[in-house]
Amino acid sequence: MQLKNRSNISKALAIASCSLLGHSAQASANTEKPDDWKVDAAIMYYGEEDRVQAVEAIGNVQKAFGDESLLDMKLVVDSLTGASASGAVAQSETQTFTRPSGNGQYETASGETPLDDTFQDTRVQASANWAETLSPVWKTNVGVNGSKEFDYFSLGLNGGVERSFNKDNTTLALSGAYTFDSIDPVGGRPVAFSSMALRADYDTEEEYRTAFDMTRMAGSEDKKTMDMMLSVTQVLSRRWLFQANYGLSSVSGYMTDPYKILSQVNDTGTTQSYLYENRPDSRLKHSFYMMTKGALDAGVIDFSYRYTTDDWDLNSHTLETHYRYYFSGRFYGQVHLRYYQQQAANFYRPFLMAGEPLPEYASADYRIGDMTTYTLGLKFGQRLSGGHEMSYRLEYYQQNPENSGFDLVGQLQDHDLFPEVKAIIAQVSYSF
Amino acid sequence: MSIQEKTASSGFELTRRDWGYLGHFRAMASPCELLMATEDEHLAREMMNVATCEAMRIEQKFSRFIEGNPLWKINHAAGTPSLIDNETASLLQFARQCHQLSDGRFDISAGPLMKLWRFDGSKIPDLADIERARALVNFSKVIFDEHQVQFPDGMSLDFGGIAKEYGVDRVAYLLAEKWSAISVLVNFGGDIACPVSKGAGNAPWQVGIENPQRLDSAAALLEIRQGALATSGDTRRFIEKNGQRFGHIIDPRTGYPVVKAPRSVTVLAPNSVTAGMLATMAMLEGEQAEIFLSEQEVEFKCFR
Repeated sequence: MQLKNRSNISKALAIASCSLLGHSAQASANTEKPDDWKVDAAIMYYGEEDRVQAVEAIGNVQKAFGDESLLDMKLVVDSLTGASASGAVAQSETQTFTRPSGNGQYETASGETPLDDTFQDTRVQASANWAETLSPVWKTNVGVNGSKEFDYFSLGLNGGVERSFNKDNTTLALSGAYTFDSIDPVGGRPVAFSSMALRADYDTEEEYRTAFDMTRMAGSEDKKTMDMMLSVTQVLSRRWLFQANYGLSSVSGYMTDPYKILSQVNDTGTTQSYLYENRPDSRLKHSFYMMTKGALDAGVIDFSYRYTTDDWDLNSHTLETHYRYYFSGRFYGQVHLRYYQQQAANFYRPFLMAGEPLPEYASADYRIGDMTTYTLGLKFGQRLSGGHEMSYRLEYYQQNPENSGFDLVGQLQDHDLFPEVKAIIAQVSYSF
Repeated sequence: MSIQEKTASSGFELTRRDWGYLGHFRAMASPCELLMATEDEHLAREMMNVATCEAMRIEQKFSRFIEGNPLWKINHAAGTPSLIDNETASLLQFARQCHQLSDGRFDISAGPLMKLWRFDGSKIPDLADIERARALVNFSKVIFDEHQVQFPDGMSLDFGGIAKEYGVDRVAYLLAEKWSAISVLVNFGGDIACPVSKGAGNAPWQVGIENPQRLDSAAALLEIRQGALATSGDTRRFIEKNGQRFGHIIDPRTGYPVVKAPRSVTVLAPNSVTAGMLATMAMLEGEQAEIFLSEQEVEFKCFR
């Protein structure tokens, strides 16, 4: 009953299928090299009105090794110039400050917020990450990162595991990181709460130098950070997913900003001296984060909320949203809105009163004071041929520091001690 | 983690995966999927448009359930000749070759017999009904050339055994023609084609094969870089009578389902129509399925 030439059926069928499909039985064996390299390059500009300006070049290279392994390398070089608030309060008189190095002075006009204009640095950051898919449900990653700037060196290690459940609809991730930072400030580390030596108070350069050196300690200080993060991601529906994170961060070591000072004022609000700030040497931070992301018919939207709290009593709330709309398959626009609000650290003092005992810790750095910030951003992305993508981002960022209930004495009432800081961020990125 | 997106208008869904995009739609009474090894969402959407249009076109033209379509007209010609286009003629030509190669066991005119075996209960058709139906089944009575087809009144054609595999190949080739460097796996309800190789550096596509004993869990994993795969089986449709299991593959020469056929047969071949036909022919071989497939020198997997 069986055909003699049965073994040729598959060949006969293959030939028959060719005339049916009008193609050769062997589909075109186009073995083009798979595109497993991905390169992103970006230039970013950050400019605060009258203050810090930064230009950053970002290079990111990803190389996939099959479907299981991914190497991600990133290099960021940035250059900062401009001035940043020193922490001293504005005065009705011109103020003179010693530069952090002890070499030379700078002046701040009456009514102006004192800005340290010696702020200039170049920073190089590099990181490498290896992600490995161990099985359909287990993933792992390890990474190293380092950063070097003139007075700062940082080296970190990180690693994590990810487990998916429920047909990939649920993902649990646990990651940890250890970072070691070494700080070697220009001109040495200031002695906590030592009074800034001013050249005008001394007859000779030698006497001034001796006094300045009294405010300084030689050698570098270090800081160690341990981070841990637990994250759960849940696909809610075809269009929505939800993510929640808990992060714990423990920092110990030198967290004082060696370039920040506090004005010590008398009853009339007039500055008597400038004291170098002092911060605690340990900090335990918790962060809670929730995000939901949804696919719309022609776009993607996300909303997130983050709450952070720490044993410096610095608590913050962040609300953020991105909405991306595809005008066409090749062109999208994205709106970014962010609202951030923080409560001052418990040792934040906009100034110190002369004659009162010094607190254990104090800093007038507005960045740890009460503050609200707003970000409004627009981004446009354009897909070019060959999978290349060009994107442009422009953001407006405003910081509104606030007085968290400190009584302003004397002339301090005449000045804006909590000035707004406005900044523009511009970025151009190219991916290929 | 994956972020899923959907296009409401064009009737497909697109999902971002870490290897590319997964597209999904329904056609030919099957879930249809495209696995596209591209990061480019716009391109994935274009591919999905091509795929859905072609699948719909083939379904519209060759489904025997759509009143007034070209196949319906052929089946209602009451013994008179019907004009056909090149594509229909090619399919008939292929059906004829399959009929010959299978020694008459693969027959697209077997519709009347199929109708008797409904597989929705455990009732076995009457012998008299089977004999009546059998008289209306014989592809050698179908006369056709490039322009027209004609067969006796009462007979009918059903492309169900070819059209889905043909659709898979058509979609796969259309995509490969337009995007020759991007590997796409086309999967229409288990009939699969992947004409563009995934490339030596990339992991092959992985295809799960259903275990007929335990539905909805993949029993075996086949890896495919390039080529096609089709499954024939009675995993879900059968009648059991006196311990005898009648699968849904009917031998038109006897009018009865093939006995001792494997529960499912999966075959790897250069294209989906070849794979599908080999799988069907293997089922028709019954007990001899594995031997038949071994002789064909193709990769296969049989579940019994």
